[in-house]
Amino acid sequence: MAETGLPRREVFFADSPTFERGQRLCVWTAPANEPARNLILHVHAFGDEMNKSRRMTALQAIDAARVGCAVLQVDLHGCGDSSGEFEEATWDTWLADVRSAARLAVARHAQRWPTAAPPTCWMWGHRVGALLAAQSIKALDPDWRLLLWHPVAQGKSFLQQLLRVRSAAEKMRNASGATVAQLRARLHDGEALDLAGYRVTAAMADALEAASLPPTLGLRQVCWLEVSAGTEPSLLPASSAIADRWRQAGAHVMTRVVPGPAFWQTTEIEDAPALISATREVVTGS
Amino acid sequence: MNLQREVLLVLDEVLSLGGRGLEFRRETCLLGSIPELDSMAVVTLITTLEERMGITVSDDEIDGSAFATVGSLVDFVSHRANG
Repeated sequence: MAETGLPRREVFFADSPTFERGQRLCVWTAPANEPARNLILHVHAFGDEMNKSRRMTALQAIDAARVGCAVLQVDLHGCGDSSGEFEEATWDTWLADVRSAARLAVARHAQRWPTAAPPTCWMWGHRVGALLAAQSIKALDPDWRLLLWHPVAQGKSFLQQLLRVRSAAEKMRNASGATVAQLRARLHDGEALDLAGYRVTAAMADALEAASLPPTLGLRQVCWLEVSAGTEPSLLPASSAIADRWRQAGAHVMTRVVPGPAFWQTTEIEDAPALISATREVVTGS
Repeated sequence: MNLQREVLLVLDEVLSLGGRGLEFRRETCLLGSIPELDSMAVVTLITTLEERMGITVSDDEIDGSAFATVGSLVDFVSHRANG
């Protein structure tokens, strides 16, 4: 497929009225000299998964821009270089941020290329970002497509993992460390806990626990990509079940597993080149 | 493929050992000997083993004791795979 040459990468801050409660760091990666055929909004992962994924996300954005995509990355409230501390972030603010970022991306492209045909729009969610993407896309018009990278289907399981890490750390230091159940009870009582390096409030824990991929997406186009380093890579069974439910309700869901490391959680920063080329293929259709 | 090899593949992947993990034997010490094996890695390993091998580990069993050696980890998985 024809490449459009070196992309342009711009970093800027956006605040009110686009975003509430301070500013958000935005990175715009797009073809330098022509309008984009695809517009992609990235919704990043939670906490340390986001940090570990920075490189892969950047590689993907640059690769996408080379083949005619404009990509907007936004650090959500309380995350990365945006305003707010992590413990000030709320799920609802994040949902609002995603919707605002979607509108910002469309407006930015249209401003640059006012006479160009509107690009196909994608919301690209990674891990917990996939949950946020799937929940906020309902507010956008039905032509917006969903691109999911190894989605977290149930926030409850994700929260459990965070609690397990804390509990394991305590028990590895001394046998009377807190159990997962005890930690969850402390959150229920309103205490904020440091989990995997991030201060998770009771409200955020509740929101994570309640979050799951919606039962239906209507007539939407979805690309669901997972990464597996196993010898026989296959989609997680729970993922297949959700994809089928969405299909029964009218969505067009394409699923694919590519070989590679779970780069959002490996000890060293690793690349998954097969995921980059698969993403390129599903977005550009070639 | 045998269980030990599957477990070593997961170890090698999660800890980014670059193939070194595949040479471990039952007696190879894990916890305390591999600096990358912290609480985060312990939980990631458990989750990956749950997903790949279809086992379920209860929250209370995660304290690192299964990770003393490769042998103890393989036994930990084996007991749950057969249950």
